[in-house]
Amino acid sequence: MHAYHGCYLRVDLASGSCQRVPLAEDVLRRFLGGSGLGAYLMLQEQAARFDPLAPEAPLAFVFSPLVGSPLTTSAKFAVVSRGALTERFNDSLASSGFAIAGKKAGCDAIVIVGQAAQLSTLVIDDGQCRLEPASGLAGLSANKTEQQLKAAWGADYQTAVIGPSGEQLVRYATISHSGRHAGRGGTGAVMGAKRLKAIAVRGTQRTTWADPEALHEMAKSLSKRSFGPATAKYRELGTAANLLTLNRLQALPTRNFQQGYFAGAEAIAPEQIGAARRQTRASCAACTIGCEHIYHLGDRSTGDGVRLEYENLFALGSLCAVDDAELVLKASRACDELGLDTISAGGTIAFAMECVERGLIDAPWLTFGDGQAVLNALEAIARRDGLGDRLAEGSRRLAEQIGHDSIRFAPQVKGLEIPGYEPRSLQTMALGFAVGSRGADHNRSGAYEVDLSSAVDRRRVQADDARLAVETEDRAALIDSLILCKFLRGVFDDLFAETAEMLRAVTGWRVTADELRLTARRIVTAKKQFNILAGWTPAEDTLPERFLETPLPDDPQASLSSKRLAELVAAYHVERGWSPEGQIGPKDLEILGLDSE
Amino acid sequence: MQVVVEFFGIPRARAGVPVTTCGGETLGQVFTELAARFPELAETCFESGRLRPGYIANLDGQQFIDDPKTLLNDGQAILILSADVGG
Ligand code: SF4
Repeated sequence: MHAYHGCYLRVDLASGSCQRVPLAEDVLRRFLGGSGLGAYLMLQEQAARFDPLAPEAPLAFVFSPLVGSPLTTSAKFAVVSRGALTERFNDSLASSGFAIAGKKAGCDAIVIVGQAAQLSTLVIDDGQCRLEPASGLAGLSANKTEQQLKAAWGADYQTAVIGPSGEQLVRYATISHSGRHAGRGGTGAVMGAKRLKAIAVRGTQRTTWADPEALHEMAKSLSKRSFGPATAKYRELGTAANLLTLNRLQALPTRNFQQGYFAGAEAIAPEQIGAARRQTRASCAACTIGCEHIYHLGDRSTGDGVRLEYENLFALGSLCAVDDAELVLKASRACDELGLDTISAGGTIAFAMECVERGLIDAPWLTFGDGQAVLNALEAIARRDGLGDRLAEGSRRLAEQIGHDSIRFAPQVKGLEIPGYEPRSLQTMALGFAVGSRGADHNRSGAYEVDLSSAVDRRRVQADDARLAVETEDRAALIDSLILCKFLRGVFDDLFAETAEMLRAVTGWRVTADELRLTARRIVTAKKQFNILAGWTPAEDTLPERFLETPLPDDPQASLSSKRLAELVAAYHVERGWSPEGQIGPKDLEILGLDSE
Repeated sequence: MQVVVEFFGIPRARAGVPVTTCGGETLGQVFTELAARFPELAETCFESGRLRPGYIANLDGQQFIDDPKTLLNDGQAILILSADVGG
């Protein structure tokens, strides 16, 4: 077999056992890698049966057929589990050397079950596993943990670690690698619940490629295209450039989604702060785009920098009404070090700020616009200190504790906090949020692309448009399983056809675009099947009432009734081949080859 | 007929200004004038009298438009932005 090792490592932290479990070629062809193979593994491991923070709950690091190839942006891995926030399927992606080293350890995935007797590091050396005590790393930030592990084990080990938030089982803790994060849904809490502070991996086992010459030519062409206009935004400005665009369209979530326009946006926008603060650019391993823009904090001479993304700016800036660039950058760095998902952290804090305003939480220090309060809240969350202990549970659980119908304005779907796209202004995205298998999510749906085009009237999306949400979700499922970076998507004329060629070159399979279309559908359905097994009900595929009762105050045309959203959701389900309520029939499972999983 | 043109993201970086005014009865005429005045913008964002894939225009923050024959009214705002707004 080319491009794969044909097995995964299954590590039981309780017994210390490490098994090599075969993966049949047919399974790999049907689920590819990354999110797709992760969905297969979660079904096989029956993860839906376990509480996500239970010792038995499986946590998988999944590589892909393209990892290790010369294709740009292919050094990626998926972290998959039952979500700590949502209790539904959760897949978070991250990049760089860990993907390459993990695959070189001689496996296509690492599945971890059980709980270590004490805080530990799992060391995987060319496929051989052992546990080492990690008590000396307790409480350390993600960065410091990685530095200490490199010092202890050598620079040829690549590490994936949790910060203090993961150790404290904060439900939106991240797993970090080299300053990048498998961010959403609380994979860090799942790892923390296993008393696993870190995984250090290295290896020497490379896979072969079916057609190295064709692969080399494709890699050259893709790299060349990655320098073109389709990726200019990411190279030159980074994702933070979205802030002013979305603000102008009144689609920038502000003050816990009470507004779509933030008067302070200019003050924190990269266009404004860039000249004085932009320090350098960075990129993941094996990437020719380099979308990471590092901004310096305080005095430039200190060399103290932070990566800035749109989602950080929105969640820690406009959503909390903070217009102080220095404090937004500091909050962003705090999330990096503490190992917190910025979207869920900002969303939960903004929700708490509104609860304080409404007299539902007694914390007068936590007010909109106070950037220092955001910083204090982040520290409290990571240590589960005082109010931080309640905020660490995320906005849905916090609303359930508070009562008073506060769930109406808790900014989440299935428990996952909503990213930086106002659903009333961007209604194809609203549909994507409502039906997303991991909750409100812009990475697994990408339907904002449809809203920001002439294909739909973004504030009057109709049932016929549901197919566009299905298409963006299928494209994302393919990209996340192959895995390539989504910032490349603009360079493809026909994603399915071009990636079929890549897959042919690495595996030798005679894959077609149509086969990959079916594969993408299978992967989306497998995630949905997981959710059904985990207790999903049709009532979950919706948005908080705030979005369905009140038009956006600063743009009254941006209005989405619960009736129209229900029509969109039903149309989406039917377009997927499911019942209007979202149930999957046995025939659909059979067509997709999921009946035996 | 005068319209206001607002640039965002890469179009703003290439134009070198966040906003300008421009004459033109149609979207295509506005593009022609912009291309003449802002050569770097033209090189990156325009192709055969239209916006290249990856860039899009919006009228008054309301409606996305791509047909160069779209008629404009005096005082309207044309936003030119990167189409891939995802993060
Ligand atoms: S474009 Fe950015 S996120 Fe994607 S692989 Fe490159 S550096 Fe990483």
